[in-house]
Amino acid sequence: MANAVIMPKAGITVESCIIGNWEKKVGDQVKIGDVLFTYETDKASFECESTAEGTLLEIFYQDGDEVPCLMNVCAVGNPGEDCSSLRPEGETVRDAEETEKATEAAPVAVAEIAPVETTAVSGEKSAASPRAKKLAERAGVDVSLATPTGPNGRIIERDVRTLMENPVSAQTAVKASSAPMAAEVEYEDVKFSGIRRAISKSMHTSLSTMAQLTHNTSFDASAILAYRKQLKASEGDCAGITLGDIVLYAVSRTLLNHPDLNAHMLDDNSIRLFKHVNLGVAVDTPRGLMVPTIFHADEMSLLEISKAVKELAKECRDGNINPDKLSGGTFTVSNLGNMGVESFTPVINPPQTGILGVCGTVDRVRKGADGSIQIYPAMGLSLTYDHRAVDGTPAARFQKELCQNLENFTTLLAK
Amino acid sequence: MPKSLFVDPAETLAPGKITFKDIPVNAYNKTIAEERGRFSDDDLVRIYRDITVLREFESMLSLIKTQGVYNGIETTYPGPAHLSVGQEAAAVGQAYLLDQNDFSFGSHRSHSEILAKALSCIHKLSEQELMTIMEGFLGGSALRATEKLGPVSDVKELAIRFILYGTLSEIFARETGFHKGMGGSMHAFFLPFGIYPNNAIVGGSAAIATGAALFKKVNGKQGIVVCNSGDGSMARGPVWEAMNFAAMDQFHTLWESHNGGMPILYNVFNNSYGMGDQTRGETMGYDMLARIGSGVSPTQFHAERINGFNPLAVIDAMERKLEILRAGEGPVMLDTLTYRYSGHSVSDQNAYRTKEEIEAWQAIDPIITYRKGLVDAGVTSDSKMEEILAETAERMTMICKAASDPEVSPYVNFKTDPAVVERMMFSNEKVEKFDDREPEVNMPLEEVPAYKKIKEKERCPIVNGKPVSKMKLFNLRDAMSEVIYDRFYEDPTLIAYGEDCRDWGGAFAVYRGMMDAFPHCRLFNSPIAEAAIVGTAVGYAVSGGRALVELMYADFIGCAGDEIFNQMSKWQAMSAGILKMPVVLRVSVGSKYGAQHSQDWTALCAHIPGLKVCFPATPWEAKGLMETALKGTDPVVFFESQRIYDVGEQFHEGGVPAERYEIEFGDVNKVREGKDVTILTIGAALYRAVDAAKQLSEKYGMEAEVINLHSLVPLDYTKIVESVKKTGRVVLVSDACARGSFMNDVAKNITELCFDDLDAPPVVVGARNWITPPFEFDEFFFPQAGWILDAIHEKLVPLPGHVVENGCTEAETYRRAKQGV
Repeated sequence: MANAVIMPKAGITVESCIIGNWEKKVGDQVKIGDVLFTYETDKASFECESTAEGTLLEIFYQDGDEVPCLMNVCAVGNPGEDCSSLRPEGETVRDAEETEKATEAAPVAVAEIAPVETTAVSGEKSAASPRAKKLAERAGVDVSLATPTGPNGRIIERDVRTLMENPVSAQTAVKASSAPMAAEVEYEDVKFSGIRRAISKSMHTSLSTMAQLTHNTSFDASAILAYRKQLKASEGDCAGITLGDIVLYAVSRTLLNHPDLNAHMLDDNSIRLFKHVNLGVAVDTPRGLMVPTIFHADEMSLLEISKAVKELAKECRDGNINPDKLSGGTFTVSNLGNMGVESFTPVINPPQTGILGVCGTVDRVRKGADGSIQIYPAMGLSLTYDHRAVDGTPAARFQKELCQNLENFTTLLAK
Repeated sequence: MPKSLFVDPAETLAPGKITFKDIPVNAYNKTIAEERGRFSDDDLVRIYRDITVLREFESMLSLIKTQGVYNGIETTYPGPAHLSVGQEAAAVGQAYLLDQNDFSFGSHRSHSEILAKALSCIHKLSEQELMTIMEGFLGGSALRATEKLGPVSDVKELAIRFILYGTLSEIFARETGFHKGMGGSMHAFFLPFGIYPNNAIVGGSAAIATGAALFKKVNGKQGIVVCNSGDGSMARGPVWEAMNFAAMDQFHTLWESHNGGMPILYNVFNNSYGMGDQTRGETMGYDMLARIGSGVSPTQFHAERINGFNPLAVIDAMERKLEILRAGEGPVMLDTLTYRYSGHSVSDQNAYRTKEEIEAWQAIDPIITYRKGLVDAGVTSDSKMEEILAETAERMTMICKAASDPEVSPYVNFKTDPAVVERMMFSNEKVEKFDDREPEVNMPLEEVPAYKKIKEKERCPIVNGKPVSKMKLFNLRDAMSEVIYDRFYEDPTLIAYGEDCRDWGGAFAVYRGMMDAFPHCRLFNSPIAEAAIVGTAVGYAVSGGRALVELMYADFIGCAGDEIFNQMSKWQAMSAGILKMPVVLRVSVGSKYGAQHSQDWTALCAHIPGLKVCFPATPWEAKGLMETALKGTDPVVFFESQRIYDVGEQFHEGGVPAERYEIEFGDVNKVREGKDVTILTIGAALYRAVDAAKQLSEKYGMEAEVINLHSLVPLDYTKIVESVKKTGRVVLVSDACARGSFMNDVAKNITELCFDDLDAPPVVVGARNWITPPFEFDEFFFPQAGWILDAIHEKLVPLPGHVVENGCTEAETYRRAKQGV
């Protein structure tokens, strides 16, 4: 009897995944544990191992298809076995079949569905039906990219489905209708990965819904540089502690005095203040930015924080992080210091109310108490906060306390 | 058109003349001294007491409405006060001989009639009977409220307080009123004393009272019916329709063992005014109202004109009229002269009459003249009369205090119980039969030839792969007939009538052959009088029977507008659920007969709260819905379509079951499964929608889900919403003119309930907002399959290659609305 392999549920909050690549093709022999295909959530990618042994009889979804979790993805069994009963009720397959049937039954229905000529003023956005919008939102596609075929130039459900199935051609169709035919294609349209889509959506939401602004400041990094030097010279795990880890530690100890920055905006009227610091740490990965969370950082030692960051970053880069570790942060730290950035505007990860950007260290001069010119290493800190939740002075107060703690880091450690 | 009655040309065309008997006018001329042998002194004094009770009641309301205070009690209420100050003696005289088996119906000015009849019943009933009635009414809650008024030694006095308090609380809209305040001043009544609903529509009681008399006649019940109205009502058509209905010859020629006149008295309290118009001399032409009976029947309704200012003259007339009625020679009519000192209502400025006129009548007020007569004749003393007046005022003060005190007499609390009226709108009961006696029939059901024929028909349109011939096919008409036969043999009170129901079998043959099975008293031809048909059905039902009546064409609903929209629909709730309304009103939507015989008026009926409305379009639906309607206790407007009486059952698997079954009102009938678009239908449009669904599938590969709404009120949206959420698109089709149609209401609700799942706004495809042109142009007026495709193409989802024939663009919507077409 043929068996189905299902799309795994990669975390409790994950509803669906996108198939990356099929490693096996129909007809291949597979054993339990063989990698059948890769798949990704909006935050990580995984390998799906076969849960059945035999011949790969049929593949129900192709590369790039979005598949609801626990849905049958392929069938494995003996050659020649009927596996039609395993086909999912999913839209893609069914629609394709029915379109075929309809074509057979009605050869007279020649006309293709054509984009509707709209009388709308050029540049005016096409209206979309509530159903089309709802579907687009669920599927994570931009409804405005759909080519309208409904009455009065309305984008209707089928237009979103077309966009979901064939996003490139839909976009070119829009371009083709607005620009003269290009003789030669000088560009390449690349479909976003799930992670890219999630980043895109999250960043856009962040900037379009919040009142964000950034304070740039710097502190005298002499103390932490000295401490770091000391650690590096030590033996064992402590040698791996970085400047970034030190900043994270300082943030975890400073933040609880500024509850409005260790918080989530719930709606326009309320805010959730956390009793512990769950630090989000921005990690650069080949697939894009990921932000794993160090839970209860305020209860961890510097070494524990350092270890946690390393472990999480590895999981992210390897693409096998549990998606549940990618949410739940109460404040985020993003470090571009090692790239030489002197100041920047980090973008808040909603629904958090703040994010700290850690910048590089530059030498600065200052007038000493005795009037002499001193050169000292200044490290930049860029704090972006949501002005809906926090005002400028309290934000600056946090920054000031953080700087003091970093300038007197060993005292902070002693606390 | 009974064959038994030969229309003889020789007799019809023979010369002759019509003669009339004299109509007595104020013939009574006895003195109190002369009447002392006929009435005891106690009776004569009690008559006076009753007049004072009525007068005090109306005077109290007048003071409350104009000054906000009565005997030191500050109170008021916003409702109406159509007072009968001056008319009390006539009411007491009328009620004197009536008991609780006699039903009385009244008008907007009926406080005195109610109280007079109640006082008469209280006098006649034993203390034991009174206690049983009061304990039994609304579970004794009204009695409990009355007992709180204070100690009372005498059950009769308790009953008087009970009736005054229940009536006044009702007028004050209190929960302790006889109908929880839902009826109010113009609709107060008390069934246990035979006091039936009064009516805010002038003359509105005429047909209803006639229906009550029909109930007594058909079901052999005791007592007579009094229909009270004012002289202004004599101008109204439904009143004439009702009197003619009651006077029908068939009650003497065709009803065999039930032959005999209708036991009804049409009594007019003639105060010379219809609101402010003066009937005699201005707005009527009868000179004297009693003449009217002569225009309706050779019996001249035994009409008399009597002096309503003399209670003894009224009693004298009533005695003679009751004798006629009990002898089966009704109907009878009384033109009871009286005068109203108070205005039509409290806002009346009396601009239409002089002060002198009012004073002239006040000078002969029975309160003065009748009292003087009693004292002069030595029946009683002035001091005794004063005692009565004092006692009356004292009692009324106590009643008024209690009825206006919100602690004692609370209002219905809409805040804590917002559904209080909702629960009264429908009784939602199932009653197999309203009486246990054997139903009166001419032969056993199995032997009825037409019934046997129905039973032999094929219940599926296709048998062994071959279509069944039209003659052998069990069709929609048979489906209704089958149930009606069954119910006639179960409920002895069930009667059916309407125009040409009997010999003709109904204009569309639903009653074909039934004349063999049922005597005239259960199935008869009514006059062509739609107001009387529906109004009598209402009266028949509130009296305790079940009526199935027919208007032939739905277009005639207008002729029975008041009876359907104000009477049939409202009495259950206005009585706080005390009355039931088991009336099924069949109306048929025509075709081929032009603008006044082709209209689907479901929207008009569905708009009126209190009516259940259904419109079966398949035989399976028709049978199940008729079964439910004829077992229920609510008024049902049962729409049928003349386009589809002949159709067989095309959708229900196995055809129409031979066994009995019910279809719940509110359910819908999905006749075709689909995933791409939902088509909702009402009535015969179902078949065009199914045709459109077929074309959609064949030409465009789209599968339409077709759901027929055979029940409009009530309507369960669950399955509709389920379908629309699935398809995202919905077209609503019916043969009603689109503007204001029921489908517009459904479309609006779907928009609300499914907004986020809609791929386009719901589209209503209805008939044009024109007159119905001749049948030759049907396809230009009524929705066709092509219109449905056009609507889908233009408003929901463009169909590749579809060529629009019947444009419904937005520009057209603007233009048509602007022009009102």
